[in-house]
This record gives sequence, structure tokens and C-alpha cells, in this order.
Amino acid sequence: MKDRLLPYWLLIPAFIIVLATTIYPLAYSFITSFRAWDLTKSRRPEGFVGLDNYIYAASESQFLNSLWVTFIFVITSVILTVILAMALALLLRRKGPMHTFTRIILILPFAMSPALIGVSYRFMFNPEFGVIANGLGAVFPALQGVPWLADPQLAMGILVLTDVWHWTPYMTFMCLGGLASIPRETEEAARIDGASNLRIIFGIILPQMRGVILVMAVLKTIFALKMFDQVVTLTGGGPGTSTETLAYFIFNVGFRWFDMGYASALAWILTAIMMFISIWYVRMLLSERKMATA
Amino acid sequence: MAEVRLVDIEKKYGNFLAVPKQSLTIHDGEFLVLLGPSGCGKTTTMRMIAGLEDITSGDIMIKGERINDKPPKDRDIAMVFQNYGLYPHMTVRQNIEYPLKLRGMPKADRKDRVRETAEKVELDALLERRPSELSGGQRQRVALARAIVRTPSIFLMDEPLSNLDAKLRVTMRAELKHLHHELGVTTVYVTHDQMEAMTLANRVAVMREGKIVQLDTPKKIYAEPADLFVAGFIGSPSMNLIDGAVKDGVFRADGVEVPVDLADHDGVVLGIRPEELDITQDPGAAISGKLYALELTGESTLVTLRNGPSSVCARGHADFEADIDSPCHLAPKEGARIHLFDRATGERLL
Ligand SMILES: Nc1ncnc2c1ncn2[C@@H]1O[C@H](COP(=O)(O)OP(=O)(O)O)[C@@H](O)[C@H]1O
Ligand SMILES: [Mg+2]
Repeated sequence: MKDRLLPYWLLIPAFIIVLATTIYPLAYSFITSFRAWDLTKSRRPEGFVGLDNYIYAASESQFLNSLWVTFIFVITSVILTVILAMALALLLRRKGPMHTFTRIILILPFAMSPALIGVSYRFMFNPEFGVIANGLGAVFPALQGVPWLADPQLAMGILVLTDVWHWTPYMTFMCLGGLASIPRETEEAARIDGASNLRIIFGIILPQMRGVILVMAVLKTIFALKMFDQVVTLTGGGPGTSTETLAYFIFNVGFRWFDMGYASALAWILTAIMMFISIWYVRMLLSERKMATA
Repeated sequence: MAEVRLVDIEKKYGNFLAVPKQSLTIHDGEFLVLLGPSGCGKTTTMRMIAGLEDITSGDIMIKGERINDKPPKDRDIAMVFQNYGLYPHMTVRQNIEYPLKLRGMPKADRKDRVRETAEKVELDALLERRPSELSGGQRQRVALARAIVRTPSIFLMDEPLSNLDAKLRVTMRAELKHLHHELGVTTVYVTHDQMEAMTLANRVAVMREGKIVQLDTPKKIYAEPADLFVAGFIGSPSMNLIDGAVKDGVFRADGVEVPVDLADHDGVVLGIRPEELDITQDPGAAISGKLYALELTGESTLVTLRNGPSSVCARGHADFEADIDSPCHLAPKEGARIHLFDRATGERLL
């Protein structure tokens, strides 16, 4: 009898920790999102305001701007990362003499802290002493003195670039794993059947990578949605609000303007978006599996 | 004329010599089987013919033309893989159609051709299914259909039946044989199953450690194995191989005395097939020992007797009965073939 209950007793500490660190704050923020709470005036949440915080968000231009910025950022960084990772994996999948070496090199960007990436890219794109800014200026004189991070579009481009740079290695490894699980014979059969290299990639390999690509796209989407560090260290949301992503905006509302009620509501909007994507993804994955095993 | 000639081909993986210089000619329309234990280089040899593996040195000629540097698609071959190699994201129809599509055959012709081929391998009812919805035998048929749909001049098959259960294997074997008869396409077939080799082949190339040790008709290989390795590999149950020595025209081992036509020689292995031994009551028979086991196989009984370290098996009448551990005697049948091999080199002595 005792033995049967023992596993549950052993699980209780972990359960309490999870409860205290995630479930409780989640529930607390959810409730807060229906209340008014100005941190400069009160240490505790004040009166209930119903859906006011959410309704306010729907018409507030800075929030809508951050949604749009996030959307642009997510779409471009996900598409670029997935395509680049897939291409790299196709190049790297054959075991050559440089096999280990290329893989070690490849993992380095992912090992770097996102905050550090932001800082270093800010230096590298500094128009006066940045190595990339100067290098580009030297090669293409037309690019001399371009105020990279002071231009809204360019700043967004660089933000996407840092993110793609950071995530491509990891995604490449995911692709390599997927490629390794494709039976070599399907590709060889296609070669004998007369398919060109491009046809093999698009007609034989990529269709078999569907599941892996889906996982990658969803993971990357979620990570991109909550991307925060690089905005802080690279652009600070600027110039203006041109790179102010939702996560960064929520941070500003909560910890610069101290409007906790509104910040909680915004955080739940972000959570809802991510949950929606996750649920859609699980359903896709299940139907995919059904197709494969039926 | 789709003759395949391998001339001094050699394959090294780094420093590992998988196939040392070998030559082999596969005649037009022939069903040639590469037979050997796992890891002896059969697949490697076949992949070199297919163009999926580079040749370290030597030449491969198809229809008299050197094709070393030609890509697989230009060699006019089709290949059936051990684990089928079907395209999982395509239906059976699309799988079979794919080689035709790649070769630019018009759609209407493709449709007819796929239907004809599917009928030939009895897949016509399954055309809209995906490979994952098929049994092993059906998948094998799709692989076969995909290979024959293009009517190539050479078929390469790498252990195509090894993933099937025993019963299905026998059925598919007959189908393959019939298909070869019908199409008459030069076929190279890889297997480690000697029964498959014997039943399917016009000629068998027995391989060991990358080398072809014997190349001949199944009958000849069965009757006159070139060396000890082939003798032990071909036949089921396998040939009795008894260690002993020859002195004064008699081969001797524990409980074994067989007159042979060979000069005195130490370290000799005598080989005789179970079906060429008679069970007798004669205590002066060539082979004597104690009965060790009786195994009824249906049409006959396998009788194993032991004497010291050596055991000898004979195929007896299905009705044969005796007590385990009772004395038992075996004598070679009239005209039985006695093989003698050198223990050390494995070479055939007689
Ligand atoms: N890509 C490879 N790299 C290194 N060694 C290999 C490779 N492919 C096969 N070998 C080796 O070559 C030998 C022959 O292999 P293979 O032709 O597959 O044997 P079989 O088909 O007769 O079982 C084996 O010892 C195997 O380990
Ligand atoms: Mg093999």
C-alpha cells in the first residue's frame, strides 16, 4: 500500500514548485488583467474594471503598432530561418572530412546570449566605428555613412538579421535530424528513376520533411513572438516605435508606465496568440501522424 | 543485348577493401545471383553496377559500353531495394508512374502503362493507397512494378524478399521467376539465402570477403563446390564435413572409414551430403556412431549420429524410427559423391 503512494509523495515537491512559479503567477496575472492597478499609487491591485483593459487595447495605437511590428518580425524571421536552415542542412548532410568542424562552428551563434548578440550587432552597425557598417561602406561606397539603426526599415532588417543569425544553427540541426531519418533508398530510387538533383530535393526530400518543417516553423514562431532581449539591447524599440514588438511593449507598459492591469491584459493577448498557434500545430501534427500510420 | 561486364573492379572505403579486384560477366537475359554471407560485398558490387557507388578502380561495361562515369539514370537499369525504397508521400499509382513521368512520357500513355504493370503484379485494386497502408508483400510488389514499368534492360535486386515472412517469400520467389521468364531482362539478384539463389538463378556467383569464389549453375555448385566454404554454405541441411586424414587410400576419423582415391594427406575434410547417405544395420559400414537426434521434416527424417567430436546427418525415410543413443550406421549410396578438401587452405582435393 505504502509503496503505491510513494511515487505521488515524491512528486509533491516538484508539483508545489511548478504551482508556485508558473500556475500561480499565471492565474494572478489573468485576474489582474481585469483590474486597475497603477503601481505608482498602490502596492495591491485595485478595483475590477471588467474588460476595460482589453477594450482599451483594441483602440490603442501603440499596441496595434506593436502587433504589426511583431507580425512583420515573426513572418520574416520564421521564413528566412526555415529556408536558410533547410538549405544549410542539405549542404551539410553528407559526411565529409570537415564534418565535425563545420558542426562545431555552426553551433556557436546559438550558444551566444541573445542580449549579447543585440549589443554586438549594435556596435557592428554603428556608422562611425562599426565593423560591418565600415566594411560595407568600403566595398560599396554608396553605403558609406548609412545610419543603419536610425532608419526604421533598416533597423527592423537588422533585428531580423540578428534573430535569423541566432536561430539558424539550431534549426539546421533539426533539419539534419529530419534528413537523417529519411530512408536513403527513396533518394537513390529517384536518382535511378531519372530525377535531377533539384527534383530530388523538391519532389522527394522536402515532402518527407513536412513534419519536421512544421515543427520548426511553429517552434520558431513561438520564440519569435516572445523575442525580447535583442530589442532591448539592439534598438530599444526604435527608431520611434518602429521595432517595438509586443513583448517589448508589454514590458514598457508594466515596468516603465507601471500600468500592471493593462500589461497583464496585453500579456494574455500574447499568450492567447501562442496558444492558438500551438493548438493548430498539434492538430496538424495529429492528422499528419494519422496519414503516416493509417 | 544487355550484357554486363565487370572488369577488375575494386572498391575501397578509405583503407578498407570491400571488394578486391573482381571480374564477372553477366550474359544477356541471364538471372545471375550474387550469394554470400552478410558483409561479403554483395550490395557494394550491385551499387557499383547501379552507379550509386564510385568504383575505386576497374571498368563496368553495359552492352559493351564503358559506363563508369555515367549517372544511374543513364545506365538503363532499375533497382529493387531491400526495404523497398518507395516514395512514402505518393500513392501506389504515383510511385509506379514516377519513372515514366521523369522520362517525359505523355500522360495518356503513362496511365495505360501503369495499369498494365499494376495488373501484372496484381496491384490494380490498390493504386490509390499510400505505401504506409500496404502490407510488406504489397509494398514489395509496388517496388517491383516501379522497376518493371519502364522496361529497363537490367534489373538489380538487393535482397528483395528478405523483409517478407517465410511463406510469402516462397510465393514471391515463384512470381519473380515467372516475371523473369516473361520479360527476359538481364537480372542481377543479391541474397544471402542459398535456397533463394538455387531456385532463382541461371548462374550463381558465391562471394566471400568481396571475392567471387565460385561462379556456376546452381546444379554445378551444389554437386561440385569449389572449396570448403562453398560446400558448407550451399545446401540445407548443409553438407556433412568431417575432419580426418587420408592414409593408404582410406579416409579416417572417429568412427569413419571411407576408401578414397587420394595420396596420403593430413588435415583433410571429407564432405558428403545428407541425402547421399543410407542408414544401415551393417556394423562394418563407413560411418558409425550413436544416434543423437531424429527430426521429422515431413517428407523425410533427418538422422543425426555422433561419434566423438564429429556429427553426421543423413536424410532417411519418413518412417524411420530408432532409440536415441542406440548404435547407428551410415553408408554412402551407390554413386554418392565424396568431396575432399584441405583443412588449412579449404581447397578442393578431390
Ligand atoms: N559506406 C560504407 N563505408 C564503409 N564501409 C562500408 C560501407 N558500405 C559497406 N561497407 C563495408 O563493406 C563490406 C561489404 O558491405 P556490403 O556490400 O553491404 O555487404 P553485403 O551486402 O554482402 O552484406 C562490409 O564489411 C561493410 O561493413
Ligand atoms: Mg547487403
